[in-house]
Formats: sequence, structure tokens, C-alpha cells
Amino acid sequence: MADQTSHGIGGLTYDRKKRGWPNEANVFIALVAIILIFELLGQVLPYMNNQSMLFDFNEARDGTILNMARIKIVILQVAIIGIISLGVTQVIILGGIDLSSGPLVGAAAMIVMSFAQTELVNGQLNPKAVFGPWSFDLPVLAPILVGLAFGAMIGLINGSLIAFTGIPPFIATLGMFLICRGISQWWTKGQPVSFPSDQFAAIGSGMMPVVWFILLAIVLSLLMKYTVYGKHTYAIGSNEDAARMSGINVKGHKMMVYMIASMLAAFAAIVLSSKNLTAQAGMGQFYELYAIAMAVIGGVSLRGGRGSIVGTVLGAMVFGVIQSGFTFIKLDAFYQLMAMGSIIIGAVVLDQYRQRRATLR
Amino acid sequence: MKKTLTVAAFASLMSTTAMAETIGVSMALFDDNFLTVLRNGIQEQADGMDGVDVQIEDAQNDVARQLDQINNFVASGVDAIIVNPVDTSATEAMTQAAEAAGVPLVYVNRQPINVDTLPDNQAFVASNEVESGTLETIAMCDQLAAEGTDPARVYIMMGELSNQAAVVRTQDIDDVIANGQCAVEIEEIDRQTANWSREQANSLMTNWLSSGESFDAVIANNDEMALGAIQAMKAAGIGMDTVVVGGVDATQDALAAMQAGDLDVTVFQNAAAQGGGALEAALALANGEDVEQKVYVPFELVTPDNMADYMSSN
Repeated sequence: MADQTSHGIGGLTYDRKKRGWPNEANVFIALVAIILIFELLGQVLPYMNNQSMLFDFNEARDGTILNMARIKIVILQVAIIGIISLGVTQVIILGGIDLSSGPLVGAAAMIVMSFAQTELVNGQLNPKAVFGPWSFDLPVLAPILVGLAFGAMIGLINGSLIAFTGIPPFIATLGMFLICRGISQWWTKGQPVSFPSDQFAAIGSGMMPVVWFILLAIVLSLLMKYTVYGKHTYAIGSNEDAARMSGINVKGHKMMVYMIASMLAAFAAIVLSSKNLTAQAGMGQFYELYAIAMAVIGGVSLRGGRGSIVGTVLGAMVFGVIQSGFTFIKLDAFYQLMAMGSIIIGAVVLDQYRQRRATLR
Repeated sequence: MKKTLTVAAFASLMSTTAMAETIGVSMALFDDNFLTVLRNGIQEQADGMDGVDVQIEDAQNDVARQLDQINNFVASGVDAIIVNPVDTSATEAMTQAAEAAGVPLVYVNRQPINVDTLPDNQAFVASNEVESGTLETIAMCDQLAAEGTDPARVYIMMGELSNQAAVVRTQDIDDVIANGQCAVEIEEIDRQTANWSREQANSLMTNWLSSGESFDAVIANNDEMALGAIQAMKAAGIGMDTVVVGGVDATQDALAAMQAGDLDVTVFQNAAAQGGGALEAALALANGEDVEQKVYVPFELVTPDNMADYMSSN
């Protein structure tokens, strides 16, 4: 057996001599490998005419050797789910799981957009108005606060259920999954909510989703690495009983972690509805699963106690590269989901194998 | 408190046991924009009638759940059932369940596989899906021809691949081109799915734009995807007068985009008329009257010329 005492809190001090390099480096290498595979396909596939995915050697479009348009979309298309996965990461490190984030996005988007509507659309009254005239063109802070408060409430319910009733996180958040999907459909009886004010539309326009994603990733990363909050999260995830014995308020901490996760999902809903200029009851479908997959590909262990925000960000990038790569090589739509699923499974199998070798060595 | 609740419960019991006719409705799913308009069409029509109660349930896109709902409707003795099938090839079991119990049944919006062998007290109300993609594609071809863009390079955005409407509308595009109904020559660059979603279409379009190919038109299977493509193109600084974009559904959002000069073509499917028509057929069958077994509500082409007529339709 490996030296158990060296595991430390959350594997941060995880026996560096035996590991060789940090786990994040592996994810990064995988990311580069996937990019290289797509670059190779661009050269090899006969119909691709030797195109490059991320480079533009003629400097024809942006005046740089990089294809900036593609690099931007690689990150942009995963930024919103990425925001959710930041919250999911700390939940998984805590030893839990959050299945409610996707439907929470749908419900929060519907509620938020109702407080963000503008009065006139092309000079006529907003045809999708949810409330009366008082709700038109409110200060942009109003929908944001409503959304975050809703997220906090859902997260607190999740957290208290898990902390105080002792039901498994899977069940508690699965129940919340259904409740939130119900709320999103009930809010306007299924009708979409559209036409936000310009101020609200600015939150998610252009590359703003990426800005939010990076900002929040930095905040969460610092929080997990350098604060008591992070240390306690790793401690509970590594060994809940030991954490309790050493005086950590486990119940209170769980509520806090789930609350922050749901608030991040609610914020993702704000950015998503702003970017799309609409909120729909079906929004956020499968987001919870993609957010979990991003974290797991990024090396966050579903057993808890191990993983990092940096890993999750890299995991999100892997998703972005794959998604753009599929369109780049014009892969037939029918094969995309199969290929995506295989890559997720393959990545985790490789990671498990590598870890087992690291502990046995 | 308890007493008032009991009284209220009793009162609601009374109201349903009055002379009212009860129609059970099983919708494929609630969180779909179009089906919501259709569902509201049924509800509003019923609200406007005396003594008609509708009980609407959500099958949540689950074939088994839908069949259970129909059997539950039969068990609770409804006068007729309206079904918006989850899976059009799984309708035979529903037809049999209703027929065995002698309850009339009306399929709405999606054509059941057994449409030609329906028993006398069953009917089908919908629009002919083939019209939608055909109207859309021909109108887009005409616009391209009017601009003198020949040949035209196009991207095609498909809906959810498991969905009949996506398959048929995409086939319509191919048929229009193959049958020479298109006024210009079409060069297809790529076709991908964006699962009916604006967010996914936005990402897909941005990915296409990053390849730097020149293109003249984007044909989308629905408006939401067309709007996602438009948002992506505007973000990339492409003038919307240089690209022809078409969708299907004529949603409020789409019409607003058309007013703003961004969307060029959409097609209106009269959801409320389908819902209302289904309810009428169900009531007639419940009263033992004969009805037309196949009722088609036509699709209508919407362009900037006639969009004013549709502003309050969906």
C-alpha cells in the first residue's frame, strides 16, 4: 500500500514524488493530443483540403497566424456550462453530486427574464410581457438579484435536505431536478419569455460569457486553494467522519457548498438568457450531466476529496475543442453523440488507470 | 380551514360531475413552444364553451407514460380523448385501448402511423409537414434568385434528429432541390443538427463562421435555430442583408427579427387552429356525429410582405 499519511487534504500534497506531475498536466496533455488529432484529420481527410483547425497560415482573416474566430468559439460554447461546472466541482470534491443544475438553469432563466423585459419591441408593446408595466426596463440589478436569490434558495434546500435528513445527494438533487423543471414550465405555462432590456442583454453579449467564466474560475480556484472554506470542502470529501471529529461544522458547510453551486447555476442562467435574448422552459437540458462530465474529465474524483478548479476549466476546454472539431471535420451529425460519449468514457478510464498506477508504484 | 377545504373540494367535485363533457388530453411534452400554443388553443376553445371540461396531461416525451395516461382517461370515463403522440409509430396500442373501451380518440399535430386504418370514432387533425420545409425552401430560393445569387452556397440546420418534423423538413429541402423547384442552383456546404435550440444554433453558426467559408443562405428547420444563427452572424459583424435566413414556426421572436430585417422567411403552422379543430372533432365524435377523419390545417408562408397578419397569431 502507498503511504496513507501522505494523502493530506484533498490530495493537494498527494505524494508528489510518486505522482511525477500534477493531475492537471495530464488533462492538458489530453487537450493538446485531441487538438493534434483534429489538426491531423484536417490534413489527412481528402475533403478537408489541408485546412487547419486552430491556425490560419495565410493570415487571411485576422492578420494573425491563429484562427481567432475558432479559438473564441471553442471557449465561448462551453463558458456557460463551464460556470455551472465550477459549482459542481466543489460539490463533487465535497463528496456529493448535484443533478439539479440543468433544470435550475431553465427555471432561473424564466424567472430572471420576467424581470428583465423591455417595454417596446420594434416600437410595439412587448408581445411576451409576463407582468404588468411595472416590470419593464427595471434596473439590471433587479433580475440579477432575483436570479441569485432563487438559486440560493434552491441550493439551501438541497443542502439542508442532504445535511439534516441524511438522504443521498443523488436523490435530493434528483428530486430538485424534477421540481425545478416543473417550476420552469409552470412559471408562464410553457410560454417562452423574450425581449430583454439592452442593459440585461449586455451581460451575455459577445465574449462576455467567457469573461464571467474566467473571473468566476479564478475566484473559485482561490477559494478552494487558499481559504478555510476550500480546506474544509476537501477535508469533508476525503473523510467526513474525520472532518467532523476535528471540529468542522460539516452540516453547515454542506449547506454552504450546495448554495454556492446553485447560485453559480443561477448565474449561468442569467448569462444564458441574456446571450440568447430569451428564456425557454426547456433550457439547460443535459447541462447538469455535461457539467459533471467536464469536472470528471478534468480529474475531479467522484469519490470526493480530489480535484481542482483548474482541472475543470481544462475539462471544459476539452469539450469545447471536441465540439468545434466535429464541426471542423464536418462529422455527420449522427455520429457526434456516439463519438462524444466514447471520448468521455475513454478519458475517465485512462485517468483511473493512471491513478491506480500512481498509487501502486 | 379544514372545513373550507372540504367544501371547496366538494364543490369542485360537483362541478365536474355536472352535465359537462370531459375531454382528456395527453400532450407529448409541455416545455415545447409550439405545443404550448396548441395546448392553449385547446384550453381557450374549451373555456369559451359551456359545459366542456378538458383535463390536460404531460406525457414528458415518454411513450409508455402516454399509454398509461390514455388508459387512465378511459378508466375515469372521459367522453373523448385527444392525443398529441410522443412517437407516431406507437399509436396502434393507443387506438386499440380507446377502441376497446368505446371512447372516441383524436390525434393532433403528429400523424399517427395507422392514420389510414383508424376506426370510425377516431380522427386526425394536423398540418401536412411536407408543406413547411417546401414552402420555406422555395421562398428562400426565390429570394436568392431575385438577388441574382446563382449558384447559392448554403448551410442547413436540422432539428433533433429523432424528431419526425426535423427529418421531413430536411427531406423537403432535398426534394425541392432535386425536383428542380429551386430557382437557383444550390451548393450545400454542410448540414448539422442544433436540436431546435437557439443556444446550440448560435454555437454551431459561430463554428461554421470560423472556417471562413463564404455562404449565401442558412436554411433552418425552425425559427429558434434561425434566430441563433442570426445572433451569431451579427456578433461576427455580417450584414444581414447579405444573407438569406429562413425558419419555420412564425414565433413572436421570429416575427420581431423579421421586422428588424434579420429574418427573411418563416412558415406559420396554425397551432391554435389545430388545437381547436381537435377539440371540435373530439366533441362531435363524443356526440356520435360523423367527422372528416383526416383534417389538414394548411401551412402559411410568412415574409416581410405579409408578416403584419401574423403578429398576434402565435
